[in-house]
Amino acid sequence: MISAPAPLRPRAEAEASQLPPLLARAERLAGSVLLGEHGRRRSGLGDDFWQYRPAQPGDSRRLIDHRRSARGDMQFVREREWQIAQSVMLWVDQGGSMRFSSGNDTPEKIDRARLLALSIAILLIRGGERVGLTGTILPPRRGNGQILRLAENFGLDLEADYAPPEHRAMIPHARALFISDFLGNFDEIELALTKAADRGVRGVLYQVLDPSEESFPFRGRTVFESVGKTLHHETLQAQGLKDRYLERLAERRDRIQQLCRLTGWRFGVHHTGDSAQSALLWLYQAMEGATR
Amino acid sequence: MTILAGIGFTSPWLLLALLGLPLLWLLLRAVPPAPIRRAFPAVTLLLGLKDDESVSDRTPWWLLLLRMLIVALVILGLAGPVLNPVDRAQGDGPLLIVMDASWAGADGWDGTVDRLSADIADAGRAGRTVAVLRLGAPQEIEFLSANAWRSRVPGLVPQPWQPSQTQIERSVALIDGIEGGFDTLWISDGLDYDGRQQLVDAVMSRGDLRVVQAGRPVIGLMPARFVDGQIVLSARRAETSIPQTATVLAIGTDPGGVLRTLASVDLAFEAGETESSTELVLPTELRARIVRFELQNRSGAGAVALTDDNLRRREVALIAGRENREGLQLLSPHHYLRQALVPTADLLNGTIADMVPANPDVIVLADIARMSPANTEMLTEWVEEGGLLLRFAGPRLAASEVSREEEDPLMPVRLRSGGRSVGGAMSWGEPKTLAPFRDNSPFFGLTLPTDVTVTSQVVAQPDPSLADRVIAELSDGTPLVTRKEIGQGQVVLFHVTANAEWSSLPLSGLFVDMLERLAISTSAHVPNAEDLTGTTWTPVQVLDGFGSLRDAGTLPGVEGPDLATLPLGPDLQPGLYESEDRRLARNVLSQDSVVTAASWPLNVPVEGAQQSNERPIGGGLLSLALVLLMLDILASLMLSGRLTMARVAIAVALLLPGVPSEAQEPDPALTATSELVLAHVLTGNKTLDDTAYAGLMGLSDTLYFRTSVEPANPVGVDLERDELAFFPLLYWPITPDQPTPSDEAYDRLNAYLRAGGMIVFDTRDANIAGFGTSSPNGRKLQALAGPLDIPPLEPLPADHVLTRTFYLLQDFPGRHARGQVWVEAAPPDAEQIEGMPFRNLNDGVTPILIGGNDWAAAWAVDSTGRALLPVGRGYSGERQRELAYRFGVNLVMHVLTGNYKSDQVHVPALLDRLGQ
Repeated sequence: MISAPAPLRPRAEAEASQLPPLLARAERLAGSVLLGEHGRRRSGLGDDFWQYRPAQPGDSRRLIDHRRSARGDMQFVREREWQIAQSVMLWVDQGGSMRFSSGNDTPEKIDRARLLALSIAILLIRGGERVGLTGTILPPRRGNGQILRLAENFGLDLEADYAPPEHRAMIPHARALFISDFLGNFDEIELALTKAADRGVRGVLYQVLDPSEESFPFRGRTVFESVGKTLHHETLQAQGLKDRYLERLAERRDRIQQLCRLTGWRFGVHHTGDSAQSALLWLYQAMEGATR
Repeated sequence: MTILAGIGFTSPWLLLALLGLPLLWLLLRAVPPAPIRRAFPAVTLLLGLKDDESVSDRTPWWLLLLRMLIVALVILGLAGPVLNPVDRAQGDGPLLIVMDASWAGADGWDGTVDRLSADIADAGRAGRTVAVLRLGAPQEIEFLSANAWRSRVPGLVPQPWQPSQTQIERSVALIDGIEGGFDTLWISDGLDYDGRQQLVDAVMSRGDLRVVQAGRPVIGLMPARFVDGQIVLSARRAETSIPQTATVLAIGTDPGGVLRTLASVDLAFEAGETESSTELVLPTELRARIVRFELQNRSGAGAVALTDDNLRRREVALIAGRENREGLQLLSPHHYLRQALVPTADLLNGTIADMVPANPDVIVLADIARMSPANTEMLTEWVEEGGLLLRFAGPRLAASEVSREEEDPLMPVRLRSGGRSVGGAMSWGEPKTLAPFRDNSPFFGLTLPTDVTVTSQVVAQPDPSLADRVIAELSDGTPLVTRKEIGQGQVVLFHVTANAEWSSLPLSGLFVDMLERLAISTSAHVPNAEDLTGTTWTPVQVLDGFGSLRDAGTLPGVEGPDLATLPLGPDLQPGLYESEDRRLARNVLSQDSVVTAASWPLNVPVEGAQQSNERPIGGGLLSLALVLLMLDILASLMLSGRLTMARVAIAVALLLPGVPSEAQEPDPALTATSELVLAHVLTGNKTLDDTAYAGLMGLSDTLYFRTSVEPANPVGVDLERDELAFFPLLYWPITPDQPTPSDEAYDRLNAYLRAGGMIVFDTRDANIAGFGTSSPNGRKLQALAGPLDIPPLEPLPADHVLTRTFYLLQDFPGRHARGQVWVEAAPPDAEQIEGMPFRNLNDGVTPILIGGNDWAAAWAVDSTGRALLPVGRGYSGERQRELAYRFGVNLVMHVLTGNYKSDQVHVPALLDRLGQ
């Protein structure tokens, strides 16, 4: 027990020191996307003016816009545009399979995934949405404090090699963004997605892959291991596996896409070798579509 | 040793392991290369996939071949292969190795040692015991195992002598003392000597004798002789059949004290001749420096001939003070000395610092009063070691304070101030003549010419010791020549000048005789055996067998007759011997030595010293295996995909040596000599140095614009490091905190002043203290200038040539106005001539100018040419700056043109006289 506080502090420091860079990078990335109109284009509760309409019986006296009504004999009511905040729930795969990078110049998949998730969260929160995590840890909220809390939660690595999508406590009719490599058990993905669809939740599945996972550039006698070393596969001729591996990868992707079509989700693929900005643009646009 | 296909193997049974190679092939073939472990998250997609081919990934055949080759090489290498194996005739029983080990074998001693090691090793393999007997230094014979001797072999060195009769007798006695029979291996140097046959008989009576004789014919160099101004060099050889050429090198010290080859000459032996000689003509300076002669490319004490006193001629170094009257040869203080000494001695010229290391026999100082402490110390040391210091008086000595209050160590007597003049226009007396020499004087017996008169002289203070030191006096009893012994040497002072200004003595034949009695009478002669009786000679340096000189250490002294007669041996080693101030060389060969080739009985096999070129090649094979192993590593890495091009590039980049780049800096001497450069002394005070630089820059610009003098950028000189001779003018600002130059720097400064340089001291304190000690700068100036050879000074007179070399000036302001300026004092005989604007003052340039006006500050300009520091106020300040520049121009003009202006003013008078 004596030794417990000692490592806690440095670890906390290390974690804390990691937070600002991720946050700063996410802020910068988010700053590159210009926010568009986000109104509902119908009258409702909101701040922006929508239209004047003649007062009808039943309208409260307080709603009458006297400046407009004084121009004539009719009484007008000022209507505002309906601006409603959506709840967006994020899930970033923090499992061991994401902590992988094939080279020195490509970031780990988890790094890219967190960056994208936090960036989109920043954009959404600036747009007035409520953003949270799936599950019960961090329910959707608005405001800049939530960004900090999100960044904090993105710093937690999971022990498991392949983390199943978190599908508990999903708010009905909310929006969702799942970022993962989707290399784990397919049944779990299917379960999460169908469950979400049942609750009317729609959103985006975003697959982040390392370039080597896409090209399979291996040769010779090789033992392939998962990052947590729970799974391994030995081959004498790695180059001989390439075609069949790619086949399986495409098949997996097909199944996910099919699932997405069924549930009304969108599916995107990103490679850590590509730029994060194009990924963010695609994501933002996809989320816009999903929230609309 | 087993010999297979011309290659011998020391452990041939190891070759059986080669049979195991095919097995290894099968084994290596079956084992696939080690797998790489890779983290790969998509392994979930791989699970359940089977490899296409049923056979595993095999090691490729060429890699297998490589590995087999490596194993085969290792086996072969360990089996101890030997190229060109030799089976020596083996004997049994003890082996006695007899070595001449004299100087004659030093040439090719490495080969001898190799041969000896090989023979001892052979004997060891055959289980024989070995003993080594060196005839030059016989010791108890002990038969030991070969291993015990092997470690001693490198310690065997040749002796610088041939075995003497007593040593041979002892060797024979030792051999006779051995019990039982033994075989003998005689390693001979190829030279015959007395008593060798006796030894051959002694060993042949006990067993077989084999002889190994060094291949190179011996040449011995005789001691050099000096005949009729030439050095006669001769050499003798043992081999007579073929013509042969040997090069003799004369080795000596250069002025820096480093041994160098000073000359070389070829000696040609005709076929059938054993002796060759040649003459070598060398400048005396070089000849005196020769330490030894040696035969090129030959080692051995016999190829070296040491030289001693008999090659030397008297060396007399003439040193004058500043020669400020260049061109006036008859007034030169050295002219008459030179005339008197040239036929009988070698004359050297230069400064004290240059001359003392050359170690002349005599140093002549003509009218030199002040010397730097370092010079004084050097001279004193030199005199104490036996040098003869000959001094002449003169105006400088008379005017100086040297040996006034107390006796200078390098002066025989104290002097009274100013000297005296007799027989001049202003004195009553007649010029004095010389008194006859007393019988204790070295000049005793010389005839006195009647026409020798003395008009001026320096006068000795009456001291208790004076009477003993006078060796010549005038008719009125005043000393004319005095002498004092210092250590082993002496100091002699002529109380008159060395030229004819003060007396007619240098014009007379008596002068030559006196010089001969003093300096030349001790010329070296060759001592013979009788001469040496009663003397003891200490070895200074001795020759070792290879012919290199080494310190004699604690070797005992040798009686004189023994040195001449005894044969060389451990008690009398060849080398340089010293007794008092004489040196004698005892060389390995004397003039009557004979060099004869050894001859052996016909039934004795004689081999050359060359070893058979038996070469073990196991090491090479193992190295090759190692290299192949490296290749195998690379190949394995490549196969398993661990070797990427980037890593190869990094490895190659690390292995490639960096290419050094050197930037060439221009030689400062080149810039300083290709153009005129003004210089200032670096004081270590940054501000002051910068100001001085800027000041000289401003002055250089002014000179460039106004005169035909076009200086380059000024430089700061570090007195400790930089050569001063390139600069006409040294500007030396004084600050109390600057370091005092070292003795060497003062030597250079004095040499610079004597060679016509000029130092401008600037105390920068407006001369508030009158250069006294009441200002820190004044005190520092006195401390700095103390060791300098500075003539008497006076405030710059109104008719000094400095007032009109370019501008007409009467005032010399810098930042401060009206400070006094001091220059070299006019000679007392300078007179104002009627109608001349100024006296004919210093013939040359004043070597020193001292002022306190802070001229550099007034001259200083920045890089754009604007004045750096304010001078005065308003217009009058600008006027003052202008005058400062004018003074600078005059100063540089004065340095560069000397008395040119002074001569020009005579032009009207000359033209008038010529009737123009």
